[in-house]
Formats: sequence, C-alpha cells, structure tokens
Amino acid sequence: MSGFSETMGIAASGMQSQTERLRLLSENIANADTPGYRRKTASFEPYAANTMPEGSVQLGRVQLDQTDLTTIFDPSHPMAGPEGSYDGSNVDLVVEIADAREAQRSYEANLRVFDQVRQMSSALSDLLRR
Amino acid sequence: MFEPLEIFDLAAARARHAATRQNVVAQNIANADTPGYRAQSIAAFDDIYRRLGPDGLNSADFSRTFDAKTPLSPNGNSVSLELEMVASVDAQRAHSRALNVYQSALNILRTSIGR
Repeated sequence: MSGFSETMGIAASGMQSQTERLRLLSENIANADTPGYRRKTASFEPYAANTMPEGSVQLGRVQLDQTDLTTIFDPSHPMAGPEGSYDGSNVDLVVEIADAREAQRSYEANLRVFDQVRQMSSALSDLLRR
Repeated sequence: MFEPLEIFDLAAARARHAATRQNVVAQNIANADTPGYRAQSIAAFDDIYRRLGPDGLNSADFSRTFDAKTPLSPNGNSVSLELEMVASVDAQRAHSRALNVYQSALNILRTSIGR
C-alpha cells in the first residue's frame, strides 16, 4: 500500500529539484557577461539517501560546462591581452531560457500531481464524514 | 452475522489501484528530466481483476511496475509529460469513482438498517 503522503513526497522532490535547477540557470544568466565564467550544469538523478520515498529525484553534482569561452575583441578592456581580446563567458542565453522553460513546465506538472493527490486524499477522508 | 460484502472489497481495491497508479505517475513526472529514466506503468485494474478474481483482490499487490515503452528523447528519457497528465487525471477519476461506489454502498447499508 502506497500512502498518499509518499506520492506527495515524490512530487515535492521533483519540484525541489526543478527549483534548484532554476537557481543554477539564473546564476548562469546573471553571469552571462562575467569574463571567464563557465556555465554551471547539473543532471537529475535518483534520490540517494533513504529519507525520501522510493522514486524521488534530486539534482546531481554541479558541473562546469567545459566548452570554449567566447573571445571578445575589445582592446580598451582592462583584461584585454596583447592581441586586444579577452575571454568572455560560455553562457548562451538562448539555451538558458529554453532550459528555464523546461524547468517551469516540469515544475507545473509536479504541482498538478501534488494537487491531484491532495484531492484524492481529501475525497478519501470525506468518506469518514457523517 | 456479518457477511463480507464484495462491493466494498472491489471499491477499496480499485481505489488502492488508482493510488498506486498515481504514485507511479508522480515518480515519472519527478524524473521527467532525469537522463536515462524510463517511464514506468502498472498493470490495468481490469487485467488484474480478470486474473485474480474477486477473492484475490484483498491481498493484491498492484505495485509491480514495468517499462511503459514510450518513445525515447535524446537523453534516454522516455517520460512524456502529456501522457503522464492524462494518466494522472485518469487515476484521480478512477479513485473518486471508486470512493463514490463505496459511499453509496455504505448508504444502502445504512438505509437497510433503518438509519
């Protein structure tokens, strides 16, 4: 017998992971113009500790995207090298926005499940009334 | 004096099945962005009922999951949020239907004892 609270816990773990992912995204977007910044990425993985119900999800270790940094030509910039250019970040705003949309969509789906389960459990407790 | 009433077992088992299905849906949706995760599903209630019959329902374990075999996305994940939404609403409706059956059976029982 799987309890409703367990199901809600799973949906909550999904929402939490999507929130953390959105946090990383906003760090990336905020640092889009920081010289030498590498975008942070993290992958979803099954929840390891057994404090959460089976089937929960968590965000894995944060990794730095190792693609090449963009080279920006600006001889007047304080960090410009002898050839007049410096390393920018490797954040691609289009990718970040697309990722943010996906995070939002998944978050809403988790929320819908949470609400659905809540309705089911309140319908069940309605049986006890009268 | 107190005969076991089959309709209560049936309605309770149906509600239990819907709750288990909802649990699996929650797992799928939570893992909608986990690379390599395969969407899971459980056997339909009518299949289980046909296999076990009315007597087996009480102890039936619905939680055995299997790969739902939906198409993979490039990261090896096979969860379709749309299909899961449908399954979730489906489970919720099945659950409330089962509870309604339980409730009206209860009402009939109450009426029959004159309360």
